[in-house]
Amino acid sequence: MKMTYKLLFSAMFAASCSSVAAFDFGALEKQVKEVQKQIPQQAPQQSQQPPAQQLLKQLPVSPQAANLIKEASGTTQEEEIAIGRQISGNLLGAAALVKDALLQRYVNNVGRWVASQSERPDLPWHFGVIESNDVNAFAAPGGYIFVTLGLYRLLQSEADLAGVLGHEVGHVIQKHHLKILQQSKLLEAGSNALTSSVGNNSAVQKLIGSGAEIVSRSLDKGAEFEADRIGVVLATRAGYDAYGLPSVLQQIGHSAKDDGSVALLFKTHPHPDARLDKLSIAMGDRFDKVQGQPVAQRLYRTK
Amino acid sequence: MKMVKTGAVALLWMLMSSAMAGEAGVALKADDIRAEPFGDAKSVGQLAANDKVDIVGKNGGWLQVKSAKGKGWVRMLSIRKGDAKKGANETAGLLSMTSGRAGTGKVVATTGIRGLNEEELKAAKFNETEVALVESYATSKEQAQQFANEGKLVARKFDYLPEVK
Repeated sequence: MKMTYKLLFSAMFAASCSSVAAFDFGALEKQVKEVQKQIPQQAPQQSQQPPAQQLLKQLPVSPQAANLIKEASGTTQEEEIAIGRQISGNLLGAAALVKDALLQRYVNNVGRWVASQSERPDLPWHFGVIESNDVNAFAAPGGYIFVTLGLYRLLQSEADLAGVLGHEVGHVIQKHHLKILQQSKLLEAGSNALTSSVGNNSAVQKLIGSGAEIVSRSLDKGAEFEADRIGVVLATRAGYDAYGLPSVLQQIGHSAKDDGSVALLFKTHPHPDARLDKLSIAMGDRFDKVQGQPVAQRLYRTK
Repeated sequence: MKMVKTGAVALLWMLMSSAMAGEAGVALKADDIRAEPFGDAKSVGQLAANDKVDIVGKNGGWLQVKSAKGKGWVRMLSIRKGDAKKGANETAGLLSMTSGRAGTGKVVATTGIRGLNEEELKAAKFNETEVALVESYATSKEQAQQFANEGKLVARKFDYLPEVK
């Protein structure tokens, strides 16, 4: 904790020395512009910020009050996306995208349709399948979601995929990873640096720690169970068979603990049996009257 | 012509037997075996926790099973696939032997593509080209709606589930 504070201060120091900053960040300007270019396309500028922050612009408020409001309303969507983009770039540095454009477009179609059923349909959602035999999936703030090829190959229908992506969408809309950052207080302290230069990845990087390490951090079990419940509901709302995610969990629960491909997943998530048990109670007979589509035929098969 | 027919019959038989071969499963908890895959269908038997079953079919949230206690449909979430997790262990052992990693207790990858462990994630370096690539695949809300229509998927209302304590 102390260490991370130190890091933050050094980041702020670096940013305040403009000549150093110019040297450091010159190459990153393209990135900043990329992010800025994208944002207006996806949603009108006004909806970028929580209502409290929009209000701030219109009302004369003291800086202290402004900080309080900002703390209460949390991180802006713009900041959230910048953080997620940085984490995603790092994750992709460890495992690149599978070079199959049809696969990637297919996953984006399914993912976007599922995310459209959530409370944040207008986030610029991005989905990708990454080169790894591991069985795992990752979500980063702002709507960046990745599934490993190892997990994708376990899927037997589009409904399975929808359930898995729904779980990750659940993490994003509940801001589970963002809350970890906020809990560490770093985000509040660093938010000025973040807003002043979105995509300034040095500042964002300091915030998220080393590389894409944050995606390997465990969320509390409650957050995983919550994402499971959301995943099942979003898939159902999207018209799919509700039992896609449970099917995949059953499949994964099948693998042995010493199977390396699930090592990280088992380390960072409750055991699939425990997740199925919770889901079983939560779902009960609520889905008995709901007919969903498995859409098994359309599932894109990888080469 | 006759050979084609025989071939077709053989293929059909193979397909059917692979679907009907049955996968092992274990009851996670006591539950009814029902005549049909519906919550209000007639109960034809009772599974106790840890009862072994043979899974022969699937329909939404229901699995068709054969067991000593009867044959019928059980809620999918009352069954765990696999028997005592033995099979998977053996497979992992075999893979670690063939990849020359036996004894390390760490089978990271089996076909040459590396796995994702914490150290690798920690050491990962930002890749702008890849982020730009993933962003290039983005689908708009309207395109997603079109995609859903093509798959005959219709959006519907459904409440979030309450937390289970």
